[in-house]
Amino acid sequence: MLAGDIEQYAELVHRYRDRYARFAARMLGSVDEAEDAVQDAFIRAFEQLRQCRDPDNFAGWFFLILRNRCLAERRRVARAGPGPEAVVVPAAEQADGPLVQEERRRALQQALLELTPEQREVFVLKHVEDLSYEEIAGRLGASIPSLKMRMHRAYDRLRERLKDVL
Amino acid sequence: MTTVFHPLVKRFLDGELNLADLPPELHAEARAAERLLGVVDRAPVTLPAALDARVMSEVRRRASAPARRWWQRLAEPWEIRVRLRPWILGPALAAAAVLVLILARSQPPVPAVAVAAAPESVYVRFVLYAPGAHRVSVAGTFNQWDATTAPLAPAGAAGVWATTVALPVGQHQYAFLVDGRRWVNDPAAPMVDDGFGRRNSVVAVTAGAAGARAL
Amino acid sequence: MRLLAALGVTVLGVTAVAAQQPLAARLAGRVPAGVVVAVTALADSAAARGLPVDPLVEKAIEGGAKGASPERIVVAVQTVLTRLGRAQVALQAATPGVPPADAVEAGAFALSAGLQDANVQEVARACGPQCSAAEALRVAGTLTALGVPPAEAVELVRQTLRSGGKERDVLALPGRVEAEVAGGATPAQAAAGLARAAAARAAAPGQSGAPPHGRPPPRHP
Repeated sequence: MLAGDIEQYAELVHRYRDRYARFAARMLGSVDEAEDAVQDAFIRAFEQLRQCRDPDNFAGWFFLILRNRCLAERRRVARAGPGPEAVVVPAAEQADGPLVQEERRRALQQALLELTPEQREVFVLKHVEDLSYEEIAGRLGASIPSLKMRMHRAYDRLRERLKDVL
Repeated sequence: MTTVFHPLVKRFLDGELNLADLPPELHAEARAAERLLGVVDRAPVTLPAALDARVMSEVRRRASAPARRWWQRLAEPWEIRVRLRPWILGPALAAAAVLVLILARSQPPVPAVAVAAAPESVYVRFVLYAPGAHRVSVAGTFNQWDATTAPLAPAGAAGVWATTVALPVGQHQYAFLVDGRRWVNDPAAPMVDDGFGRRNSVVAVTAGAAGARAL
Repeated sequence: MRLLAALGVTVLGVTAVAAQQPLAARLAGRVPAGVVVAVTALADSAAARGLPVDPLVEKAIEGGAKGASPERIVVAVQTVLTRLGRAQVALQAATPGVPPADAVEAGAFALSAGLQDANVQEVARACGPQCSAAEALRVAGTLTALGVPPAEAVELVRQTLRSGGKERDVLALPGRVEAEVAGGATPAQAAAGLARAAAARAAAPGQSGAPPHGRPPPRHP
């Protein structure tokens, strides 16, 4: 199905709505921003359906549109400076173990947002989406050595940033 | 000095090496790396079903708009929508939520029972093997975590630091501070989570003991 | 820092001025001002519930000394408060009356080491009026910190008390477990072996008093 059939596009939206939602959420730092990014990516994808060279690979093509949307957003945020901090209300009733883990999880997500978008992308694809370096290279059109270099820089920055909580 | 992972630990993070493949001196670093990966949020994300309707509403609107040249469409900036969510709390609401948490837990006032002050102190010897350290001190609940009050001194054997401190009877948590920046546990003592991502060592001092009895 | 600012704006009306001064003096210069306000509010809440306040202040000072972020310090202090509350409830369930502050602190320590609320209650119940619940809980928590699973730690303390063990015998348990571990047993095995020996003493007719010192009971691989 390609351009022109609006109602069949609704089926595509429904089918792929959540497939990359987690990737967008980890790239942007919140589900709300991920929702905006996925929505915008679907609209942009509809506009560019004629340029989708492999109709059977709508998912991969859509991912690239969404990825570019996420990278553009983080670069915009990086230029604008940090926005209002999320207000964190500690839940007094949480058990000890999960509380510490949740704190570490929040710290890691914040640290991820402080990486460059390219470093964060490879970290999310490998450690959140569980892709191999080969799969990431195929998806992004990058070389494996360059991906590893980005990832290893990400590891170092995360360790430095999180050394107090690990 | 920036803290970086050893190249072998990075390969461990990449999944190319197992813990057994690493030399023992890297195991602690590898465990820190495991803790990092252990808190990666892999929970699936489900977006609201209403997104479908919003997308299709916009798709239909664009489909019915006058035809535009393709390069004009590509040049359109990304639409960054700011959508107010009813569950995003402003500072006042967040504070109110915390206040509710605090007040909601109040129970009928119970008179506090005073704890008798411990009349005795016992000398406790703290020893740490820290070759390469330039200064070592011990801080804990017994000295209000003030690392300046209990410095250790080199104690004969190379790399061994020690001091003797009078501790009141009771249980104490402590850690060593090496070179003013690195908190180190006592490997010979039980440890508990300190709430800051590290652990504290535990020592219990009992009355009448010839020395400290580390429980 | 928005959280701390928000807390500051909101809790000024809650804080009791008379109680604020000494606590603020202890924290001044050790933690950021926003943390002083937050911890003061938590301390007021603790005092209102009859919970000891010192552990909260100590945890805040510790966080400041370790360079933790203000938010992290507040979370850690709140965790201590939660544990104190849980320990108080568990102790009240075990023994009627107001639990002593040192027992509540010891219960909170035991929870931090890995025991559950039910474990705290069980240790306190095993203790009885002739035993210091605070010492028993510290020992149970220390055993868990040494690697003994909570259930085994509680059972060891319980059997030791049940066999007529005195406070010094309870206090000696971590050292005895460590000796067994040094001999090759796992902490769980060490604790289970010592508990079985104590239970056997309790069951034997005419046996009373402290367990024999000297040769430890045999290990079970």
